[in-house]
Amino acid sequence: MTQPEFGATPWGRAWVRAVESTAVTRPNPLLPKARSLARNNAVTDLRAETGSVTATVSGHTVHIGLPLWTDVPDGLVADHTGDLPDELADSIDIAVPLADQHTECACRTRNPHCAHVLATLYALSQRVDERPVLAAALRYPLTEPTDPDWIPLTEIGVAGFYGD
Amino acid sequence: MADRHVTYVPAHGAFAVWGAATAGRQVVCRLAVPRGDHVEAADVRVSLVEPHELPDTTASARAWRDAVRLVERGAGDEAFAELAERMPPVAHAVLNSEETAISSAAALLDSYRQAAAARAKLGAIDAELRPYQVDGVAWLHSVPGGGVLADEMGLGKTLQAICLLATREGPHLVVCPTSLVGNWRREIARFAPDTPVLTHHGPRRELPEVIPARTVVVTSYSVLRGEDDLTSRDWDVVVLDEAQQVKNPDAQASKAAARLSAQRRIAMTGTPVENRLDELWAIMSLTNPGLLGTRARFRQRFGTPIEQRRSATAAARLTALITPHVLRRTKAAVATDLPPKLYSTVACTLTSEQAALYRDAVDRAFSLGLGSGFERRGRVLALLTALKQICNHPAQYRPDELPLAGRSGKFDRATEMLTEIVEDDDRALVFTQYTVTGELLSRHLAEHIGAPVPFLHGGLGAAQRDELVRSFQHDADAPPVLLLSLRAAGFGLNLTRAGHVMHFDRWWNPAVEEQATDRAHRIGQTRPLTVHTLVTGGTIEDHIARLHENKRALADAVTGSENALAELPDEQLHDVLALDPGAFS
Repeated sequence: MTQPEFGATPWGRAWVRAVESTAVTRPNPLLPKARSLARNNAVTDLRAETGSVTATVSGHTVHIGLPLWTDVPDGLVADHTGDLPDELADSIDIAVPLADQHTECACRTRNPHCAHVLATLYALSQRVDERPVLAAALRYPLTEPTDPDWIPLTEIGVAGFYGD
Repeated sequence: MADRHVTYVPAHGAFAVWGAATAGRQVVCRLAVPRGDHVEAADVRVSLVEPHELPDTTASARAWRDAVRLVERGAGDEAFAELAERMPPVAHAVLNSEETAISSAAALLDSYRQAAAARAKLGAIDAELRPYQVDGVAWLHSVPGGGVLADEMGLGKTLQAICLLATREGPHLVVCPTSLVGNWRREIARFAPDTPVLTHHGPRRELPEVIPARTVVVTSYSVLRGEDDLTSRDWDVVVLDEAQQVKNPDAQASKAAARLSAQRRIAMTGTPVENRLDELWAIMSLTNPGLLGTRARFRQRFGTPIEQRRSATAAARLTALITPHVLRRTKAAVATDLPPKLYSTVACTLTSEQAALYRDAVDRAFSLGLGSGFERRGRVLALLTALKQICNHPAQYRPDELPLAGRSGKFDRATEMLTEIVEDDDRALVFTQYTVTGELLSRHLAEHIGAPVPFLHGGLGAAQRDELVRSFQHDADAPPVLLLSLRAAGFGLNLTRAGHVMHFDRWWNPAVEEQATDRAHRIGQTRPLTVHTLVTGGTIEDHIARLHENKRALADAVTGSENALAELPDEQLHDVLALDPGAFS
């Protein structure tokens, strides 16, 4: 059974649809190039955080700003693996349409959705496929379910570490 | 100065005393350490000590001394919660697999309590456990729901599992390949003689209405496949041995295994499952249902990203998910706990074809009469040879063109073990005293391993033999398994690249086997050698094994045990040679 390279889950697929909406009225010649960049590991240092995605694509720094939700949609709760219930994917506008993204790329084209930005979005769709809850975390600062058995290093004070 | 602080390290099952050498084993641990204004992961030189060797000069050392006392006193949860409150971070500075967090004091104390409780129960076990095995048993007791014990072959997975079974209320179920049913029964009788065992195998099998407490039922995957009696019961622990057998979720045995109801499920396998994601999912869906999601979703999220685009993010997340539930130690990692040679006797089960041939050969020899004197020696020797051939493979006793698999318990078991060794990127030497056995194994193994399996025997010229030895020792792409005739391989061969030696059949004199073993062993070798001796339960091979264990064997070997047997009167000889029905179940 083969599955799509980009958008294997409904959550990643929502992002792929947002990217490919540019090709609805006329073909977008940048899409094959963007897919090829993503496929060939040209997208590096991809960081996806609430409201912001950054990456380096073929040496160009890409930044994509995303509008946030004011609240988390009802029922959108991740399980222990970071997965979301697929049946909600169609009823929530999980991905951000290109027009609503604030994009910056260090390349010289004027197109706000140059191949580098599009490649970043394709790579992002794969990240979302791997961990669907990321799709929600991009739009709202989710509190990661904390495991009481583990204390993050950042929360440990230096003073008193040894107790003496 | 960071000195004499104490952290309990579950991976070592011991307390790590920081800093300058004290008593105990010196190792380097990854622990959390303050650097400047933050805390980060670092290598820390520590010595591993037992509870009674704990210092008392630091807050963390005193806290762990208190913990030891609370455990000894059998204190309740409240006392431990109070202790957790006042433990300084260094006392629980054990890192998670991503090295982003440390264990909470309460969680680490809990892990220590469980390990101590598991250790206290080991009094019921008739074996000296190595330190890593004690850790393994504590892990089997505490891993939530269950998990996969994936230690490298030869490290004693079966013993560790028996320690779990023998110290819980039961009833338990062990499912293993047919060729291992007898081995499980024997190992339980040896290490936990008070634990009742029921082998549920063979045509007349039947389970009692109520299985007595503490009982271990041992069955095979082929029985599990077609039987509702096993899936309709409530088990305490279910052990799935050689879990590669259930790596295909669509197979009947896997579906039946998924229906088993148990408090705790343990899968055992020597192959590193984490490298084969479909198999990993299949096995963990039995031990920890739901942990990795559905099969289709697992492929979308982990299988395809990791296998097709080498996604580091997906691989890291998968590791974090499975790490609490998979325990794999390699011989190299626990080498300091191991002797240079690890001996392992593997009891194999006769197939019904073998059992019929065996009984028939004994009956015929005795009813025809063995005669006396020189004639008797000849006939006894011929009978012994026939019986040993039947144990090896029916096709060796009576050559035929039928397929080889499924007809000899020992042959099948050897194939399974060697396949596992090869999949683990290790190498093995296999010794046999029969040329025909070597040829049958060579043909059969080549099909299973997918590479030629050469046979070094007396019929080869010196140049050919030298080339086989040279290639095994030095060539990167040399076949990983080398078969050797016991007699052709006595001296002068240096085959130290093998991590495993297998004795496929028994020779009367243990010194001859030992000499062969030493082809692969060299003084000062850093990696332990595992020596597997295959014994078919209830047969002449069992008799030889007992002779080997008995010091008298050495004296007998001088005169030749075959002759010693020929000296016995018919009745006693029959007792030695007749198939022991209890022993092969």
